[in-house]
Amino acid sequence: MEKQILEEQKIDNQYDVVVIGAGNGGLTAAAKLAKEGAKVLLLEQHNLPGGFATSFVRGRFEFEASLHELADYGPKSDKGGIRKLFEDQFHLDAEFIRIPEAYKLILTDPKYKMNITLPFGLEKYIDAIEKEVPGSRESITKFFELAKEIRAAFRYIASTHGKPDQGVLMKEYTNFLKTAAYSAKEVEDALGIPEDARKILNAYWCYLGLPMSRINFTLFASMVLVYITKGAYIPRYRSHGYTAAFDTKIREYGGDIFYNTKTEKILVKNRQVVGIETSKGDKITTSHIICNASPTLAYNQLIFPKSEVPEFAYKEVNARIQGLTGFCVFLGLDATVEELGLREYSYFIMDDMDTEAVYESWKKLEAPRGQATVVINNAIPDCSPPGTTMMYITTLFHPDAWKEVKPQDYVEVKNKIAEKLIDHFEEATGAPVKDHIEEIEIATPETYARYTGTYKGIIYGYEPESWDSLVPRLMSMGKDQYIIGLRFAGGFGRRAHGYSSSMSDGYTVALLTLQDIKKEVNQIYE
Amino acid sequence: MSDKDFEKVDITIRSNTKDIFAFTKLVPNRIKRIKKASNESITDDPINDLAKKLHPKLQYLQIDQIIEETKSTRTYRLVPDAKRGTEQLAYFRAGQYLSLKVEINEEWITRPYSISSSPRESLEGYYEITIKKEEDEGFLTPFIWKSWKVGTKIISSGPEGFLYYEPLRDKKQILGLAGGSGITPFRSLAKSIAAGDIDAKLTLLYGCSDEDDIIFYEELKALEKAHPEKLKVVIVLSCEEITLKGCEAGFITKELIEKYADVANNSVFICGPQIMYDFIKKQLKRFNLPPKQIRREAFGEIKNISEFSGFPNDAVDKTFTIKAHIGGMVKEIPAKSTQSVLVALERARLAPPSKCRSGECGFCRTLLIDGNVYVSPISDWRREADKKFNYIHACSSYPITDLELIIPRTI
Repeated sequence: MEKQILEEQKIDNQYDVVVIGAGNGGLTAAAKLAKEGAKVLLLEQHNLPGGFATSFVRGRFEFEASLHELADYGPKSDKGGIRKLFEDQFHLDAEFIRIPEAYKLILTDPKYKMNITLPFGLEKYIDAIEKEVPGSRESITKFFELAKEIRAAFRYIASTHGKPDQGVLMKEYTNFLKTAAYSAKEVEDALGIPEDARKILNAYWCYLGLPMSRINFTLFASMVLVYITKGAYIPRYRSHGYTAAFDTKIREYGGDIFYNTKTEKILVKNRQVVGIETSKGDKITTSHIICNASPTLAYNQLIFPKSEVPEFAYKEVNARIQGLTGFCVFLGLDATVEELGLREYSYFIMDDMDTEAVYESWKKLEAPRGQATVVINNAIPDCSPPGTTMMYITTLFHPDAWKEVKPQDYVEVKNKIAEKLIDHFEEATGAPVKDHIEEIEIATPETYARYTGTYKGIIYGYEPESWDSLVPRLMSMGKDQYIIGLRFAGGFGRRAHGYSSSMSDGYTVALLTLQDIKKEVNQIYE
Repeated sequence: MSDKDFEKVDITIRSNTKDIFAFTKLVPNRIKRIKKASNESITDDPINDLAKKLHPKLQYLQIDQIIEETKSTRTYRLVPDAKRGTEQLAYFRAGQYLSLKVEINEEWITRPYSISSSPRESLEGYYEITIKKEEDEGFLTPFIWKSWKVGTKIISSGPEGFLYYEPLRDKKQILGLAGGSGITPFRSLAKSIAAGDIDAKLTLLYGCSDEDDIIFYEELKALEKAHPEKLKVVIVLSCEEITLKGCEAGFITKELIEKYADVANNSVFICGPQIMYDFIKKQLKRFNLPPKQIRREAFGEIKNISEFSGFPNDAVDKTFTIKAHIGGMVKEIPAKSTQSVLVALERARLAPPSKCRSGECGFCRTLLIDGNVYVSPISDWRREADKKFNYIHACSSYPITDLELIIPRTI
């Protein structure tokens, strides 16, 4: 009986902390906890670390599963938060490579035709926009000065664990306060940024995935600033390159990792975490859990018994707006970038920059009006065999667009959308992609659900509209823990989604959990 | 960046007071919004439901019918076993396989079998797998022959594998090269093309060692007759005496391939034993096809690993010890150098995870803490970072010293 075998292989230990899910947030949290000597168990339902941050092999190609460009890494001379974390905190054995230019923006609607490549570096970036849209320099410069103030304010708030001194904020970070409750559109209106300049400046919007009229300004401006000033990086061996390095590091620090082990129940007694149960029949005692799965999943599916879920937790999950899911066409081509005529790493291709309209197109099961495409060889020339190119076209969807798809129609539906995206790319760039497809894989919302179990295949966290953006999330710290011992880390966490945000969040949550453990120890000795 | 690296910009959105007020209301408003929201639990998730239908972790099946195809080949028709939780079979793409989990003498092993029925038939409620009893196969097929009856319960993976027609990549004209029981995925493909579910054409060169060994002969010929514009089936017999009409004698050579196909305009799909693949590879070399036009099914574990250059001579015929960590268990087990690590783990009754058994799918990914393995270069599909951090695919790795491994528990 297989049951007997599983019985013999059960883990029945006690751990200081159990981390549920080895995504970006879970890996970072587990690494920090293990480094600080906590007895940590990291559980992952899939057989690989990383969650979305992984890779897969088809034929001669190893594809990146999801990362376009890592923010907040930065050059050695001006390390970003993530680089500090990787190099100084964890000494992670992972190599990162800087991507050559910020992005190429192509608008294909004849009315708005635009085709411009933007460099990294604030001055050069602003120069490039000014050249394309004369007269925009002043307002764009203001945008970035504001962004710098906002980043400084975030650093200050984070340093106070969400309890900033209102006086300091009022005095030092006035503009942060004044813009914190507004959308990017509202602030850009106030700054008087010309319409055409905004098209260029707003190109990164798709990495947050909500239209300019709804996305919180502080979050958006901060993201753009970090990309443009610090540049963007990708891991040498795709995301698996650094998530596998995390795995090695966690074990080196003494942490335990078990794959193919799904957490089925978070056991709660009197509003306090007492343990977990897994798909392999493990029963583990712990009073601290860091959950890399979303609150949506945890409160609705994991907490046991259900009566331990506070009403306010359900309300919180229901009040927040679920983010988007993705769609990705991975292409291994048997031609070089030169033969294809593709010079850039990152292409944002949209009909126009009407972000409302593009967002609306994601609600329908048809080819979306926008795509973000990366050609990895233009950052890492030898990422695929000589004579080949590896690229992927990414777009987003509202998950419900896919809810009526039947298994027998699935391939046809996804192929149709993929083909239109390839067509759109070919029209915009002139690259003969279709003639050279050696490997193709198409990831849909179903794929993200399949490999990670995320609710509705969602790849982004809760939408950071102003009311639920970083500022109110950070300032609710301490008041948002409904079950003692249960904390969340990752893309659904306080810093919103994105690789660097998820990892920073995981690190912060590990620190908070370490504090909790210390307090308990102190109580015992008192 | 220092904390004060910004210039104060003069900005007002509504009015100074309103802007500051809006900030002070952020947290209270968030709480207000949450309080107003529904307190209902969320129960629906159509996307994960679709994922489970397309890619169930396991499918519980039972044998509904056994068809004798040839003297050494049987087709098993498998239907869902609702009592154990499988209501519906997962839909698949013609050419995919099932990884069956079979228990023999308390050992849990897996075997990949291409689905020989069509995807459309899975909607009607059944899969078919077709198994040939090989002379030299001493372990699983004799067991299957003896013990699988109508009603036998089977555990399977979801559909797996990549030997399928992909319209965005492949030529509309497919040249199928099949050897022996490698015909199974092509039967599925031929049926799908005949039914109009796949818009492509198939020319099938099917190599058999004997007339008695041709699987699906009548069926394939009938499909060809009904759809001559889409299907062409050529049996290639390597035996001396041939009585069947319309067959080719010998092997699937370059000349034979040229006779039936304008190779440059075909996508070539290959499925057969390792030895046939080696032969075909040589024949195809002369056409100088780009890799994108050649797709092959994984052929299972390497049978002659010690003959590979690079396999250390002094390891041949040795038995090593593996210290295996699996879940909370640690066990020392014997492992022959000429058998894959996966086989050693299975023989030791550890029920390790695996699917393709050809190095490709990565489900048997295992951490090598200590010792050395030989990895077959023709079945090394590991990720770059996995090579760097000492991960192996147990099914394509062979022990050449004592080993210590961390193995994930079964899927």
